[in-house]
Amino acid sequence: MNGSLQTQTQPATCQDDALAGFREILQVTRPGADVELIRRAYDVAASWHQGQTRMSGDPYITHPLAVATILAELGSDDQMLCAAMLHDTTEDTPYTLAALSGEFGAEVAALVAGTIALDQVKGNLPQVLAAVRSADTRVLAIKVADRLHNMRTVEFIAHAKQLRKSRESLDIFAPVASLLSMDTIGAELETLAYATMKRNRHARSVSGRLLIAMTALLPVATRTRWCEEWLGELHTLPSRRDRTSFAIHTMLGIPRLAYTVRNPAPGRRRAG
Amino acid sequence: MKYAVKMTGPVQQVLRAMLEDAAAPRYGLQISKQADLEPGTLYPVMARLEGVGWVESSWEDPDLSIKDGRPRRRYYQLTKDGAEQARLALAEISGRREKRRSSLSAAQPGPLGAAL
Repeated sequence: MNGSLQTQTQPATCQDDALAGFREILQVTRPGADVELIRRAYDVAASWHQGQTRMSGDPYITHPLAVATILAELGSDDQMLCAAMLHDTTEDTPYTLAALSGEFGAEVAALVAGTIALDQVKGNLPQVLAAVRSADTRVLAIKVADRLHNMRTVEFIAHAKQLRKSRESLDIFAPVASLLSMDTIGAELETLAYATMKRNRHARSVSGRLLIAMTALLPVATRTRWCEEWLGELHTLPSRRDRTSFAIHTMLGIPRLAYTVRNPAPGRRRAG
Repeated sequence: MKYAVKMTGPVQQVLRAMLEDAAAPRYGLQISKQADLEPGTLYPVMARLEGVGWVESSWEDPDLSIKDGRPRRRYYQLTKDGAEQARLALAEISGRREKRRSSLSAAQPGPLGAAL
């Protein structure tokens, strides 16, 4: 049952720099870390992921290593770092949770299992958020780091998937990051997600850019909503002329809209 | 009777268009066509109607837009209360207009629109 692969392969040299970087960070943030154990987790993951590549073309192991590096920067413990290294092995390779548990202990296995369980949460946003809130905070931290690296390399995946990941990052992962006081990570996630959404075809067009620029007149909290709504409308218009006309007419209404949004209800009713 | 929304021309156009099928969710461009309003006029009206709770808006199911690789659409729908209030308000306005028209034709022909 027990895996026998731990020393089978030395990974190719192209990740050596990244590995050295990880070590250096670890020395600063976790001088007492069990470097040998973590290195073993890296080796096992590297051997199982051997031959697999990321969408960017990089060897797959660069991803778990990057996730572990993000966590090392935060001073995460040995088990979390091992779990980060191994987090995709049992899903994407023949390596089993039982074997992982045998080699690295039940705690690491539980962390890996926790991240997999979170991937399988289905339902609408409130349901997902409820599941996320009840999850183990160490598992959540690994997921947030995982998502951060995925968003850093989001340009390599299909456009539709980019939008989905960005949406999830804003709706789920950024709030979770701030819940865990991972504030810098939360901010980076938001920046990456917005940047991705703005790379959308229509957001790059003249009409889209004008509209986005004009939303500066609106209260900050409402800008994303209107931006997204208008980009959605632009998308439904077939010709450039229609889109330009839409953009101009919408812009003309923005000052009035800004006033309305700031003074929502002159009357008393606010029921539904 | 006083309503939560000032019943301007564009507000009436939007409400009439939406009441034609009160339960149907629509996105901005659809309403803009049906109500024959430019988007610059439409969105402030929608924000106003939403602000007073006559209209609700929500994002479409993200899976649909993701499948097509496009941004999500925002859909507007009359609330139950909103539809009721809107019907009353519009009926009152057309009733007033009717009355004015008959009194105008009965009495001397004067300058139009002096009544309101």
